[in-house]
Amino acid sequence: MKNKRFAIVLDTRRCIDCKACTVACKAENNVPVGRDNYRNWVSEEPLRGTFPNLGQGFTPGQCMQCGNTPCNRVCPTRATGVNADGIVTVEEKKCIGCKYCMTACPYNARYYNTETGAVDKCTFCAHRVYEGRLPACVETCPTKVRVFGDLNDPNSEVSLLLARHPHRVLKPEMGTKPFLFYLS
Amino acid sequence: MTTLTALANSFGSVATIARRPREIAYFSILGLGVLAGLAAVVYTLVVGHEHAYNVTREIPWGILISTYVFFVVSSTGLCLVSSLGDVWGFEKFEIIGRRGHLLAILTLVTGFMTIAMELNHPIRMGLYAVISPNFTSAIWWMGCLYGIYLVLLSIEFTSLMEGWRRAAYISGLLGFIAAVSAHSNLGAVFGLLEARHFWYGPYMPIYFILSALVSGGALTPLIVYFNHKVRGRELSLKYREFMEVIGKLQALFLRILMFFTTWKFITGIYGQPPEKYEATMALLAGPLAVNFWFFEVLLGMVIPFLILINKRTRTVFGVAMAGLSSLVGIFFMRYDLVIAGQLVPMRENLGEAGHGLLHYVPSSVEITIVVGALCLCLLLYSLAEKIFDLEGGHRHR
Repeated sequence: MKNKRFAIVLDTRRCIDCKACTVACKAENNVPVGRDNYRNWVSEEPLRGTFPNLGQGFTPGQCMQCGNTPCNRVCPTRATGVNADGIVTVEEKKCIGCKYCMTACPYNARYYNTETGAVDKCTFCAHRVYEGRLPACVETCPTKVRVFGDLNDPNSEVSLLLARHPHRVLKPEMGTKPFLFYLS
Repeated sequence: MTTLTALANSFGSVATIARRPREIAYFSILGLGVLAGLAAVVYTLVVGHEHAYNVTREIPWGILISTYVFFVVSSTGLCLVSSLGDVWGFEKFEIIGRRGHLLAILTLVTGFMTIAMELNHPIRMGLYAVISPNFTSAIWWMGCLYGIYLVLLSIEFTSLMEGWRRAAYISGLLGFIAAVSAHSNLGAVFGLLEARHFWYGPYMPIYFILSALVSGGALTPLIVYFNHKVRGRELSLKYREFMEVIGKLQALFLRILMFFTTWKFITGIYGQPPEKYEATMALLAGPLAVNFWFFEVLLGMVIPFLILINKRTRTVFGVAMAGLSSLVGIFFMRYDLVIAGQLVPMRENLGEAGHGLLHYVPSSVEITIVVGALCLCLLLYSLAEKIFDLEGGHRHR
């Protein structure tokens, strides 16, 4: 979509590690079963403190839809592409399965889908977004960790959240300019 | 015409093998290796990569990629070293021109076959690399440059066989340039990945060219030695001189390689740079330590270097054995390089408890394909020795 820049803002303090986002994503996007097959994930942070004063955080993640995409750069056949709205896609018929994009991604956001015969990854549920619906992970989250929206719209919820709260991205030193923002 | 005549006589030549029991055994073992490899290929095509290979989402490149690198490094090394005679005018190297270029072709082709088994869609690659090329992709350039390199190698070999002087020189020179371009670009396939700290940087393209020279310096004396050994011939003065010179040259290549390796490892551990440190330690004291210290350092560098710097051990046999030792070490060197670069997980909690690294051990199917590829390369070369007249190389000026 033109004139849009999609992003997700995450408030990880709300995450309860229920993994509903992963299940919803698998169901929505026909992700095959298997250890390696997932488009999004929830990382468990190390335990904090000592018993009985313990705490633990969880960091959900998925393809960061980077502004500077190593995966797009390395793909030999241009199977990976970037839409005008920033969503990074894979054109299945062009994927040769060299897995160069998988080694190039600093977030391990890609896997090889044996059913489609191509590398697969999160697309912010582009098929839903282009129909005006929310990505499955955003819609299903019981504690509203993720907020999806258009950063080109200064009044969108994502723009307002980023304006109001300090935030960070993962591995900023990679220079990938991710569009998944984590509220600090 | 010489080539065509040789090909026409090939069946007769191959038929003579049957008269020698040791040759029957040799060709049978290679044949069995190739058949085992083929069976593994068929098995993979039937059950799918995911059931046949141990590569994962986190470590997508396994032993087939490192073996591909081993083969193409060998090819480049053979081309660079054997061009010394025909292109750069070092007369002592002319005698290995034909054999060197032939084996360069065969190792390259076997390398292509090996990587085709790692790719999920090699046929699709042929189509979309042409109609949808991405010029910022080092893998696209790799395919393109190695393709050009293969064509030039074939022209060079044909020219050497046919005695086309001018064509041999021009294709040899262009082949040399293509070899350096293609191979440094292969280093860039790894060196351009910012996400992989162990690989990233200008070191890889430079290191790949250097290590190719070591591969060439290991393989060319092996070819000479075993060709004479198998035929029960004594080495002529020319060949003995060649072995002496290549022995000294290989000692120099190994010295430079040790220098490079030392600094790679010092920068890998000094100040514990994130991710690079963990990968380096995986080699020094982690899951790849035996590979590194025993195969890569001891067999690959130290033993051959000690053989080659000592005048008493730098005999024809010594130079050949140093080559063999290096070659085994280099195989593990490629494996260690490819795997170590992927052992550090991109997300912290993906690593195994304890050392925090990922885990990869090649599956039996992957290993069988590798064995099959090695046997195939050796078999093709041995048959080519029967088919072509590879004696001598000629200065085409």
